[in-house]
Amino acid sequence: MAAKDSPLKQFEIDPISNIELGGYNISFTNSSFAMLITVLVITFFLTLTVNTRSIIPSRMQLISELMYNFIAQLLSDTVGENGKRYFPFVFSLFMFVLIGNMVGMIPYQFTFTSHIIVTFALAAVVFIGVTILGFINHGIKFFTFFYIPGVPFYMHPLLIPIEVISYLSRPISLSVRLFANMLAGHTLLKVFAGFVVSMPFFTGVFPLAFIVALTGLEILIAFLQAYVFAILTCLYINDAYHLH
Amino acid sequence: MPQLNPEFFVSQLFWLAVFFTFLFVFLWRVSLPRIATVLEKRQNKIDENLSSAKELQEQAMEIEKKINDQINKAKLETDEKIKETINALQEDVSSQLSSLDKDLEKKVSDAEKEILKSKDDQMENINNEIANITKLTVGKITDIELSDNEINKVIEKHKGSFN
Repeated sequence: MAAKDSPLKQFEIDPISNIELGGYNISFTNSSFAMLITVLVITFFLTLTVNTRSIIPSRMQLISELMYNFIAQLLSDTVGENGKRYFPFVFSLFMFVLIGNMVGMIPYQFTFTSHIIVTFALAAVVFIGVTILGFINHGIKFFTFFYIPGVPFYMHPLLIPIEVISYLSRPISLSVRLFANMLAGHTLLKVFAGFVVSMPFFTGVFPLAFIVALTGLEILIAFLQAYVFAILTCLYINDAYHLH
Repeated sequence: MPQLNPEFFVSQLFWLAVFFTFLFVFLWRVSLPRIATVLEKRQNKIDENLSSAKELQEQAMEIEKKINDQINKAKLETDEKIKETINALQEDVSSQLSSLDKDLEKKVSDAEKEILKSKDDQMENINNEIANITKLTVGKITDIELSDNEINKVIEKHKGSFN
């Protein structure tokens, strides 16, 4: 499968330094390196641009403020007043996925969001956190979340299992959405990049033009998927506060 | 597909936990409070400026009102002064005119009196001359010596027919 020219070769993990801890392989890999770059970019950008704390912002400071307001608005629109407590988490999540996707758009850079284990771990944190939050807010009553009021009683044996399954599949849908989008986009780019090389002289311009257009689209998707990840997290948090 | 190879799952999860936790704590404790203070500061500044602008506007309106009041007052005062001056001037003119009239009347009456007096004097002179001439004429023509009284009596008698 992972042949030399396979479009999936870009997703292979290469350890940079082999580390072992308690019998587990926790090597620092190219994926970990991409995460490190992502975290550094976010922390440096958000810290340095706001360093002057000027009332009239510079352009860079304005970008940080726009991001802040974007997520703050998102949370207040979906969750309301309760959402303020989760702002740091949702903001971190959004920035991590967004910059992770963007770092992946740099040629030869690894895209850690194209790995299901990473996206699933993030989605699982959201899912477990929201479920715990639901139980904290509503106690045992949280189970009424699966009970849809105003439906004929004979429908409940059918609807309650559906609701439970849909609830349990949340982390899967959340993680697979991001993972599949990144996987598909980057594979497509690689396939067309292969065409540029393998096609005869001059005709290779067409797949090249296609790659340029597709790169634009991928950047859009990178933003969109981060946004979707954040807004779904907000909606799940909202569900933990407001049962049906 | 390399994604499904469990060889690096633990490594991925470990480093994800490390980096994401670091990112979360850093943003929570450092970056986001900074941005929040900047935004808050700006909002405060805007509110402050807005309220001071409102205050200044109110002050400006008050001053405008004062100015208008003063203008109106000044207008009324000027109107009154103009009226007063006109009245005073009119009074002055009329009093001066009346005194002039009086002067002229007096002068006219004085002149009339003088004319009358001089007329009387002339009449007296004429009478005397007549008396003298009569006396001389009568003396020359006749030897009768007339006394002044007799002549005067005759003159008085005929005085009406001379006029």
